[in-house]
Amino acid sequence: MRTLLRTLALATALACGTAAAADVPRIGAAVYGLNAEFMQIWAAALEDHPAVREGLVNVTIFDGRYNALVQQEQFETMITQGFDAIIFVPIDVEAGAAAVQAAHDAGIPVIGSNTRVNSDLLTSYVGSDDVQSGYLQARYVLDQIGCTGGVVILEGPIGQSAQIQRLEGNLKALAECPDVEIIAQQTANWSRAEAQTLMENWLTAHPGRIAGVIGQNDEMALGAIEAIRAAGQDVQDFAIAGIDGVTDALRAVKAGDMASILQDGAAQAQGALDLAMRAIQPDYQPMSAIWEQYPEMPWNDGADAEYNVPWTPVTEENVEALLALRQ
Amino acid sequence: MEPAGRSEAMAEQPVRSGTARSGRAMLAEFGQRYGILAALVLVCVGLALSNEFFLTQRNMVNVLRQASINGILAIGMTFVILTRGIDLSVGSVVALAGVVSASFASTSATAAVSGAPYPTLLAVAMGLGTGILAGAVNGWLVARHKVPAFVVTLGMLSAARGLTLIYSGGRPVPGLSDGYRSLGTADLFGIPMPVILFAAVFLGAWFVLEATRFGRHVYAAGGNPHAARVSGIRVENVRMAVYVISGALAGLAGMILAARTGSALPQAGIAYELDAIAAVVIGGTSLAGGVGRVTGTLIGALLIAVVNNGLDLMGVESYYQQVIKGGLIVAAVMLDQARHRAD
Repeated sequence: MRTLLRTLALATALACGTAAAADVPRIGAAVYGLNAEFMQIWAAALEDHPAVREGLVNVTIFDGRYNALVQQEQFETMITQGFDAIIFVPIDVEAGAAAVQAAHDAGIPVIGSNTRVNSDLLTSYVGSDDVQSGYLQARYVLDQIGCTGGVVILEGPIGQSAQIQRLEGNLKALAECPDVEIIAQQTANWSRAEAQTLMENWLTAHPGRIAGVIGQNDEMALGAIEAIRAAGQDVQDFAIAGIDGVTDALRAVKAGDMASILQDGAAQAQGALDLAMRAIQPDYQPMSAIWEQYPEMPWNDGADAEYNVPWTPVTEENVEALLALRQ
Repeated sequence: MEPAGRSEAMAEQPVRSGTARSGRAMLAEFGQRYGILAALVLVCVGLALSNEFFLTQRNMVNVLRQASINGILAIGMTFVILTRGIDLSVGSVVALAGVVSASFASTSATAAVSGAPYPTLLAVAMGLGTGILAGAVNGWLVARHKVPAFVVTLGMLSAARGLTLIYSGGRPVPGLSDGYRSLGTADLFGIPMPVILFAAVFLGAWFVLEATRFGRHVYAAGGNPHAARVSGIRVENVRMAVYVISGALAGLAGMILAARTGSALPQAGIAYELDAIAAVVIGGTSLAGGVGRVTGTLIGALLIAVVNNGLDLMGVESYYQQVIKGGLIVAAVMLDQARHRAD
């Protein structure tokens, strides 16, 4: 709601106050959809960037409503209105290349964030390596079960880039433990309710054989936890891991029910804005605190094609601090 | 047998149509006598033979629990479809009632309304109230303003989802009180609460439709609205009421879902209307209105749950499950039409 109001307020400000803000660059952020918590965090961080707060730039966020065509049209709108740069979080890798091409033809730099787009016309890209997260989460589960026994994998929608890359990471880790059997592997479409049903049925079909649960996102791992509880079994008997670090998952980590890896959407958003400003003003110096927070991701004068925001494993030590950020 | 039938058909036109009619009549007779219950039994027998775990008590409890949310929605949908209507908004109302009621039962400082957690009864009243309100708006527009139900509830599908996102800020409502969570997680003598609520809703709906004047009016208003009006039935009031019933049950389903998943999720219930309509149609209720039984809907909902469960147990990809469910829906309607031709 707050995001929506702010976006509306910004849009109104843009419409009414163009004279006052004539020399301030305008940056549009086209994101695939604002329905889920992760993109909410991303959008809130973008609007909380020091450059936005100090009025050095005007930012407008466009909700792509999970539709590639809507995103394409929003690009056309931004091109028509002469935005100075575009931050792009596409619905999928393959969708959106034409939109990037159109912006490029109009001379507008496009910075990718969070999700890759299959185009070599991006000025630069800030994201996190999904293969790595898939590897890390599977490695956690395998370490917990001592590299032996059976695991199940709850997958994202088959064919989505995050599902493909996280599975690649999952399988890379599983290859290191040849004694571990993948008992079942199926999509629950990132959904907690779907994962719950699937896990209930797997617990029935493979009694006593499932030791580890690899949920390719937190929502599905949380669904598996509820299924285990509903079956009257002890969550502590299972090694369960998710990815993303959504608030419910942080709570579950705190309770000792699962492990999660935080995808720092805030850093992906703020990094992209710094890079967009750099594309507009060549002498711009980055203002976000993330460059100090992640020394392993150097600014390099904003000239790199790709910036890799490190994953943060959520542990009992840092979970309180991470939860405090969500208040 | 096939070639013989074909040669007969080629030899003499009347014989061909005669054969077809008797085939159709046989199908109709089968449908009339055993119908969808036979299909459910057949599927269960097949699954029991092919998977050792299917008939276990725990799996049966799972199937009933997995059928309960869709079953409750489908029972509300039965009332609406009996009056020649449709309610496409139930999935979104599930999410809206979920986040509204959960915000009254949440212990989380960020997501709850001030003063929460309130007693579970109040949270439940808020959820039911939300569903009733959405249903009343649907019913009012359909009954009083004669806007087609498809259009009204399509609008509500969008509006209720939007309100859900506005109300929750797009974030889950977590930290639900133990009392509230018992709606989804508690059990009585080993029977999960969602199943108990599903059974109660079914018995209530069965009684209303079979044994009350209002029930007869629902059938009359759907079967022949003109005749119903002439005989003094207030068709508009009946229409209004069925959308309120559907809305209230969507509210109940939304609370059970939130209680089961542990948080009320704004993305909950997407496309649930389709499974609910499928259960009603598989259960033999005619989309033309006036014909159908809530027992059929019960069996339809169970059949969908059994098929999904069985395919999960056998490790069949969920994408195949969707194809199989699609085939099931069409086959059920063909059976239904054959029955009507026989009548």
